[in-house]
Amino acid sequence: MTPAPPSFLDVPTLLERSVPKPRPAWVWYGMIAFAVVVLTATGAAGQNPQLKLVVRFFGGLAMLGLVVAMAWFTSHVVKQQRKEQQRVEAIEELVQLRRWDQAAAMLDSMLAKPALTMGARLQALVYLASVLARYHRFGDAIAVQNYLLEHAEFDAGTAHGLKLMRTMAMLHEDQLVDADRALGDLRRELPESAGLALIEIYRDVKTGHPAEAIEIFHARAPALRAQLGHRIADAYALVARAHDLLDQNTEAAAAFEKATLLSPVEELCRRYPEVAAIREKYPAAVAPSEAA
Amino acid sequence: MISVHEAISRFRRDVTLSTLLKAALGCGVGAVLALHFVSLGKTIDPSLLLMGLGAVWLTLWYRTMKGSRLAAQSSTLIASGNLEQAEAQIEQSLRAFSMSRSVKSMGLLNLALVRLAQKRWPDTAMLCREVLAAKKGTSEHVNKSGRLMLADSLLEMGDLRGAHEALAGLYNHRLTLSEALSLLRVQTEYLARVGAWEQMIQGAVTKVALAEIMPMPNGARVQAMLALAAKRTGRAEWANWLRRRVELLVDVQELATQRPLLWELWEK
Repeated sequence: MTPAPPSFLDVPTLLERSVPKPRPAWVWYGMIAFAVVVLTATGAAGQNPQLKLVVRFFGGLAMLGLVVAMAWFTSHVVKQQRKEQQRVEAIEELVQLRRWDQAAAMLDSMLAKPALTMGARLQALVYLASVLARYHRFGDAIAVQNYLLEHAEFDAGTAHGLKLMRTMAMLHEDQLVDADRALGDLRRELPESAGLALIEIYRDVKTGHPAEAIEIFHARAPALRAQLGHRIADAYALVARAHDLLDQNTEAAAAFEKATLLSPVEELCRRYPEVAAIREKYPAAVAPSEAA
Repeated sequence: MISVHEAISRFRRDVTLSTLLKAALGCGVGAVLALHFVSLGKTIDPSLLLMGLGAVWLTLWYRTMKGSRLAAQSSTLIASGNLEQAEAQIEQSLRAFSMSRSVKSMGLLNLALVRLAQKRWPDTAMLCREVLAAKKGTSEHVNKSGRLMLADSLLEMGDLRGAHEALAGLYNHRLTLSEALSLLRVQTEYLARVGAWEQMIQGAVTKVALAEIMPMPNGARVQAMLALAAKRTGRAEWANWLRRRVELLVDVQELATQRPLLWELWEK
């Protein structure tokens, strides 16, 4: 019986296969070979003065060969690593441009082989988590984020971003207890974070506490605007849903219009299934026909 | 704090010195290898000489690697907004000798980035010009970033011709997404200054999509400029849509104070 081929973006397989392989220490082998050439040439020349010129000639050639080989090898390694870094940068651009299918295909092929550097692998895994969340594979996204947070050291900003993404994924997966604990940790870590406020708003909308969601939105509005950029559309969409749950239809319509002014309805409904419930109820903002 | 003139003179000195050193080491290696084939090699052991040269080379490259690491760290510090610490690191890397011209260019470019964030436009322009003048050994990334920063600072200084020349050199290059975003921002500002409204609004759909992924307030500023272009070219629907988006994204008062041209969008 032949084993079933691994599925697309299979997380355990990609995590296992992308681990960089220890490379043979070619530089050390080169150094040893260099030392052997030097010693042999010196020894042979000392024992047989007649052979001195021949030994010196071939010794010189060997040394020249070694110098050229080491230079070629170093340049080859640097080129390979640069290529890998360029692939990671290309994936980053695809994620930013929301070309998810292309990013997923590149990640699948890149992580199926051992990475050359740990840095490139970790960066690729961060993007993998984003792509998985986009495909609503939140369980897999959490697995990647847990792996990253447990096995690597990131700067404070990146670690916070990863934790925010993981908490959001937990909420989508209805892991409410874990999400609540994660929110507590995030609050202690960076209470001013707009990402944290957005997750709290989502939690309150999801768990049926719309008044609290609206309260958080108004209390944190300046930070949300300063830090989220266009993703403030998410906050408006969730607040629209919160007002709708409270039967405050005028406020809900106003918030929904603002949300759809910044982001297409399909995108918002994809991100938050709860918003889909109001998409037919309130009119979306009208965009110029070319931009719609 | 290192002055711009000192940074430039150190850059020039190190570039000259490293070129001479590289040439001397290269000639030394050639001469030592040649010793294997001539009679002088009997009195001096060429292998030992080669090892000595190798040791000197490795020591110099170790210093270069340290400088390269400092340059990379300062880029991270600038990105996180830690300008004072970044400047201290850049100063350290510029004062240390490096064999690599690209490491030195990177240090100078990072200093230009800090000065740009500090709104010291003439300093930024001077540093960028120096980086761009040293064409040999300058990576494409350094070249493109230098041009973008030069155009940005010249625009702030009111030198539209200079900004246009700096931007023109970028159209022959393949740009990364972040470079394309910077180009769009600077180009939009330039076109607004020269009043090329029709050209500004061309390809508005793509421009708006790119502005959406820019960090704020730059993304909002580009959309506001496009709104103004739409208004000036009689596209009221676009103008209204973009203006309302800007209102949700940033403080309009602050935005229009920085770019008084934009008040027109909110005039009754």
